[in-house]
Formats: sequence, structure tokens, C-alpha cells
Amino acid sequence: MFASIPSSVLLGAQGHPVSVEVHVGKGLPGFHVVGLPDESVREARDRVRAAVMSSDATWPDIRITVNLAPSQQRKSGSGLDLAIAVGVLAASEQIPLDSIRNLAFVGEVGLDGSVRAVPGVAPMVGVLGDRDLVVPIPNAHEALVVAQGRVRPIGHLRELIAVFNDLTPWPDHDISVAPRCVTPVPDLADVVGQPMARRALEIAAAGGHHCLFVGPPGSGKTMLAARLPGLLPSLDREQALDVTMIHSAAGVELPPSGLVERPPFRAPHHTSSEVSIVGGGSHSMRPGEISLAHCGVLFMDELPEYGPKVIDTIRQPIEEGVVRVARASLHTTIPARFQLVAAMNPCPCGEGNHPGDCSCGTARMLKYASRVSGPLLDRFDLRVQVERPNVDDLLHGAKGETTAEVARRVAAARAAAMSRQGRLNCELAAVDLDQFAPLTSEALAVLRHEMERKALSGRGYHRIRRVARTIADISTPGATAIDEPTIALALSMRTRVATYPGLGRAA
Amino acid sequence: MSEHMGAPDEWFIAALAGFRDMTTARLRALQAGRSAHEAYRIASGEVEPPEAVAAMFQRFGGLRDKWRASARGCTPTSVGERCAELGVDIVLPNHELFPAQLIDDPRRPAVLFVQGDLHKLDARRVGIVGTRNPTRSGAQTAARFGRELADEGVVVVSGLALGIDGAAHRGVLASADGVPVAVVANGHGAPYPKRHAALWNEVAERGVVISEWPPGTAPDAFRFPQRNRILAALSELVVVVESRERGGSLITAREAGERGTDVFAVPGPIDQRSSAGTNALLEDGAAPATSTETLLMALGLDHRRAGRRRFESRPAPGATGTRVLELCRAKPHNLESVSTALGVELTHAAMELARLERAGWVAEAAGWFEAVDEYSEFV
Repeated sequence: MFASIPSSVLLGAQGHPVSVEVHVGKGLPGFHVVGLPDESVREARDRVRAAVMSSDATWPDIRITVNLAPSQQRKSGSGLDLAIAVGVLAASEQIPLDSIRNLAFVGEVGLDGSVRAVPGVAPMVGVLGDRDLVVPIPNAHEALVVAQGRVRPIGHLRELIAVFNDLTPWPDHDISVAPRCVTPVPDLADVVGQPMARRALEIAAAGGHHCLFVGPPGSGKTMLAARLPGLLPSLDREQALDVTMIHSAAGVELPPSGLVERPPFRAPHHTSSEVSIVGGGSHSMRPGEISLAHCGVLFMDELPEYGPKVIDTIRQPIEEGVVRVARASLHTTIPARFQLVAAMNPCPCGEGNHPGDCSCGTARMLKYASRVSGPLLDRFDLRVQVERPNVDDLLHGAKGETTAEVARRVAAARAAAMSRQGRLNCELAAVDLDQFAPLTSEALAVLRHEMERKALSGRGYHRIRRVARTIADISTPGATAIDEPTIALALSMRTRVATYPGLGRAA
Repeated sequence: MSEHMGAPDEWFIAALAGFRDMTTARLRALQAGRSAHEAYRIASGEVEPPEAVAAMFQRFGGLRDKWRASARGCTPTSVGERCAELGVDIVLPNHELFPAQLIDDPRRPAVLFVQGDLHKLDARRVGIVGTRNPTRSGAQTAARFGRELADEGVVVVSGLALGIDGAAHRGVLASADGVPVAVVANGHGAPYPKRHAALWNEVAERGVVISEWPPGTAPDAFRFPQRNRILAALSELVVVVESRERGGSLITAREAGERGTDVFAVPGPIDQRSSAGTNALLEDGAAPATSTETLLMALGLDHRRAGRRRFESRPAPGATGTRVLELCRAKPHNLESVSTALGVELTHAAMELARLERAGWVAEAAGWFEAVDEYSEFV
């Protein structure tokens, strides 16, 4: 007998539909899985056999062949277990074929027949069309977000057999997920003083600009970065779905609603491997940190400490908004449109910002500088010097504006940009700058002077104008032309990095 | 018998100075009462070492082998010829040109390698030293002292390091007849720091570059305090312009103090790290150096100099600009502190600072602004 059960597997952040074809026929007793299963799929044989026997069903002691179609594509993960189990039961006529028409199955089975959660249910379910979906109970909330058909959460294989033999109705499991103790979103009001850094954060939020904080240890760089997501607007439906797919695929815990609605904040440690940051690894191509930060913020603390390969490989995703992960036999594209926020010390001793404070030797300094030089630094529209907060501010300073207040201005500025040019300011094309961000003659004179004394490159010129556009959108809504003070602030937020102040004549 | 039989004395000593782990004390111990040739033969293992040297070998295991190996690469002929090639004179203490100030020094160098004419040291001499990473105002002060002292015919001694040293040398070079003297910690022929290669050559051409070590010697960390003692000994008074709490220039100041040389320090803001060392010197009794006149007076020279005021070509800043400039003259300021001090918006402060910078009143480094004076170009 033969049964074909729809299911799906995960590759990167995408589901791929798989038909699990099961044939039970004469021959020497055996259980074979073909169709490029990897090790984790092949192990399904033992799990499924035990699960079926634990569920008061009979294991057919004849030849069982499972084919995973399309068979030229490698399958990985334990999400096919449930489909294989149902296929065996159907092919051995223990459940009627009619009963499983228009149903798809995703889930892992335990030896006792219980049905367990698997990562990536959201994207896997997304490719199964309008079929009704049988999923493990813990995955039901994410399946519900994506599914077009009905979602049938299931806890045990035995329940399924009973339902299919018309002995019981579909079980009604409680699928609500207990909200974990919610960590409060850090508020900008906690940042005392530091008007420059606060301003930079607001500009970054409003214009989507990548931002680098340079400052001594203890100047609050990490604290500032953690407050950026709070300033960003919630994700729209499409973004939320994309982000949910990626987080589900990576096995990151999802919010109780199953839908990620706030911009994510990811802060991979600088010892993280290239694969964990970029993505890839096993056959399922787990999304990396840059994809988990899709539509949100990727924070890289101690930027020069990251491996040079890591720094190199994130450059392409920054430009393209996606990461192409390719291995010998398979490749996939994972979304990775993130806002990069990085922090670094000005020099190895950390005191290099303030004139005369640095005690690093030239050699140490140059080595440090060489780790971050060039192309990556160029990607940061905002490069801001952060200083340690004033002691008086720290002890007695009035609390700053709250996240809510700043977020309102950010939302207004973003709305202005969208209505003006249909995109955020950081994505303004160079050719459109004259139309959308014209300069007053004084402002132009400032930029001309900077370029003439070689303090500003052609690329820097465009970036300055984008940042200036954002500054104007925040502080003088409605103004068309960029004036001199605005340009001056934009310029001061593009500081040179890792030049050694003692080398007075450094470029 | 040695093949270097005909080489002059100074070649032997020069070669010995290039041996691995050679120090001034060891070199003098080798020479004690012997001819230069004999000392060389002992160190290179050609003859059995006398008792004192044998005891030294005993105490520092491996020294004998290191020297023996050194003798193969560092021969009197090779060192002597290299010096000749570079125009470096090898000056022994018995030479008439050996600086008188060093003859009676408790830690007298055994040999000096000199580019330039040592006669130029027969003048009033002021040492200017300081941190490699100064503030702009510190570097400007060093350049000012260098230039103005040189204008009065004073020889300025410094160390060719980045920062204060370099600014002082450049200031001297800007004076028409200025004589710069540099005491360096590495050998001739491979300028250190590389960034100062051109400056090294200029100093050698106009003045004197002195090293205790033969050409090619690397600038090892331990050589810098050694260099500082020579610098201190050659100076009639030493000015420390800026130094952090544990800066190398404090060693120079101490060496100067031990030799009874007057130490001057430039006072700085008490919360500025680059002035922590100099302010500590002042507390310990160093004299404050607030102008070139102070230094000239200390030398007993006529300090009533004709006022040289540069024609001010920079456009005068406006009212707010003037206030900002005052701030930046007092100490380094950044955008944030200017905006707070003036109580104006960041954009406004940024514009004022940018205007001042464009007009040449202030200069920016890593987000900090400092006032610029006429010595800015030597920083």
C-alpha cells in the first residue's frame, strides 16, 4: 500500500514543501528512507518505529520504503517524523486514507509517541498552502500566525490515530504560551546628560543610519545602543512575518502572540564565530545573527575585537540587505536588512579621545586602527565620539527625555521621509539628494571647504547630506533646504576614527 | 692575531658598543686600564678574560656566548666603515670634541656617535622634553619655546620623539639660525620614529644628532631612560612641557635634578592628564615655565626681546565665536561641552566651532577643539 503525506523542511529561513511517500509492501522486513535524508532524518526510522508501537498501533513487519520528494534536495531536521509516522499508519491501513486528505504534518515524535516541538514551524507551515496543519502543541502559536488553513495542535500520536478512526473529535489543547518574565524595555530617560550621544541615537532611529560610538570604557556606549530599538516604530505586518519566520527558523523563542512585532535587538559577542553571525552551518543553514537582526538592530560591541573575517563578511549584507549562504551542494538567501550599531574604544588604552590622555604607543595604536580601517568604517553614516558622563550629571542630573517622547519625533521624521521620497533617508540615492536634500549656499560652502582640505571624500559628502536631511527632518519639520548649523552638526557626527592624536600631522 | 690590527681605537669601542646586551657599565668595565684593542679581544673571546670580566661572565650567564656571536657580525671594520658611510663621527671621551658636560658625568657614555658638528654645543643649552601624545596647546608651547630660544641663539636639546620633542625641533628649525640638537635612543641610519625621518635629517644637517649606540641599533625600550640622562646632562636647564603622571620626561627631569640642573615645568589644568606629570613636578619644586622670557632670565640672558607680533590675518570671530574661542583657549572642549557652557543648541555650537575652525582659530582632533596660535604649523 502507498500513502503520500505533505510536510516540509527548512533551509535557511525558508520552508520547502516535501512529499513523504510511504510504501508498505512484500519483501524482507525493513525500513528504508531515501531521497537525500541527512543523519537527523535517517534517525527518524528508529523514533517513528518506537512511537508507532507505543501508540497502540501495529508496526508492519514487512518492507517499508519512505521516499522524500523532491528527492534531489537534501533534507534535514526532525520535523518530518510525524509525517512519516502517519504515512506508515496510512500505508499499512491502520488509518483510512480519506481521513488524512488535505492535511499536512510537521513535528518530531518521541519514542513514547508524544509529538514534540521543532524549530522553524512558521516558515515550514508557510509553504504548505491552504491545507489544515497538524503541529506540535508548543508550535501552534507560531503556526497560527502563518497558516492559511486550520491548525490542529496535537500532543500524542495516539490522539491522531483516534481522530482519524473517527473515535474522537480533534482534541482541544490549550495553546496559549505563558509569557516569560518580561524584561522591561530600557528607557532613554536613564541616560543622563550626554546630549550629543542622545542626539545621535535619535538621528540614527529617524534616518535608519548605521551608527558607530567611539568612546572610553564607561561612557555608556552599550547603554545607548540598547535603547535604539525602543525608538524605532513597530514592524508592519509584512516585516513582522519575515522576522517571525527567521526567528522561528533559528529556534529563537517567539513572543506569546507568535508574531515578532517589535524590532529585534541582537548583540552577538565578539568571540562569535563567522557562521553564527552570518548564518549557515548544518544542512538546514541556520540563520545567523545578522538575519535575526533583520528589521531591527545589530549591535557589535568592541568592534575591533571581532574577527577580521566576520567584519569582512558582513559588508555585503549591509549593502544588499540579504545574505547569500552557499555551500557546495546547496545555497539559500536569508534576509538581513539590519541597522548596525557598533561601539569601540578610541584606542587600546581607551583614553584616546581626549587630547593628551592616551598612553598607547604608536605601534599599538596603528595595530588597533588597522583592524577597523577602511571599508567598514565607511558604512557608518554616524560616527560619534562619546565621552564619560559628567559626574554631577550622573549623581544629580535631571532625567533626560523618555523613549516615548523621542520616539514620537522619530516617527514624525520617518513619516516625513516616507511621504517625501518613499524611503528612509539612509537609503536616499545620491542622484536624488539635490531634489530631496538641497543645501543653502552657506551649507554648500561648508562642505566645499571640507572637501577642499581633503577632510571629506566624495562618498562622505553624500553620507553627510543624508544625515543632515534627517537632522532637519527632526528639528525643523517641513524645511526644504539644509542650512549651515545642520550641516555643521552632521559633520561633527562623522568623526575620524583611530587616528592617533599624538601624530599631530596624521591625515 | 686579530685581523683588525690596524683599526683605530674608536672603531674597536664602536664595535663593542654594538655587541648584544652591551651596557655603558659593561663597556667601561671592559675598557678599565686596557687598550681598546685588548678590550675588544677579551669581549670577542680571542683571549682569556681577566678576573673582573670573568666574574661578569659568571654573573650573567650566556653573556660570553652572546658577545662571541656578536663579534662575528659586529667587527671594528664593519662598524667603522658604516659610520664613515653615514657621516657619523665616533667620539671617545679622550677626544677634544667630547662634550665637557659629559666628561665628569657619573655615568659617562663610553662612546658617542655623532652626526653634525659638536662645536655647536658650545653655546647656551636648554632641553625641551615632554609626552609623545600632547595636547595641541602643549605642542604649540614646545614649538614656541624652541623657536624663541633659537632666535636668541640658545641651542635647544630634545629627543626627536613624536609630540613635544618634534614640535620643539620644528620650532628651532623655523628660526633662521636655530641649532637643533637631538639625543636619540637608537642608532644612526634608521631614523625612529619613521614619521620623523625627514626631521632627523634636517636636525642632522642644521645641528647635531647624538647617539650612544652604533648605527643600526634598534630603539629598545631600555635605551630611552639611558638617552634621557645624556639629554639631561647636556642641558643647562630642562623644560618639561607636558607629561602624564608616569611619563618618560619625568625621568629626564629626575636625571636633571640629580645633576643639579634646573628643571622647569609648564603648568596645565589640574584635571588634564597630559599635565599631571608637569603639575607634580611643580609641586615638587620645579620652576614654572610660563614664557620664553622666564627661561632666558634663568639663563641670565637679556630677556627684553623685541616684541614680534604677527600680523593677524584671520577674520575676527563674532560675539558668540569669541566666547567659544575663549573656552577653547582655556582647555580642550568638544561640541557637547561648548553647547552646555554657552547654553545653545548642538547645531548652533557645531556651526560656531566649524566657523572658527574654517577661519583657523581652532583645530579639531577626535572631536576636541583647541585654540590655534602662530606655532600651530609645528605641532
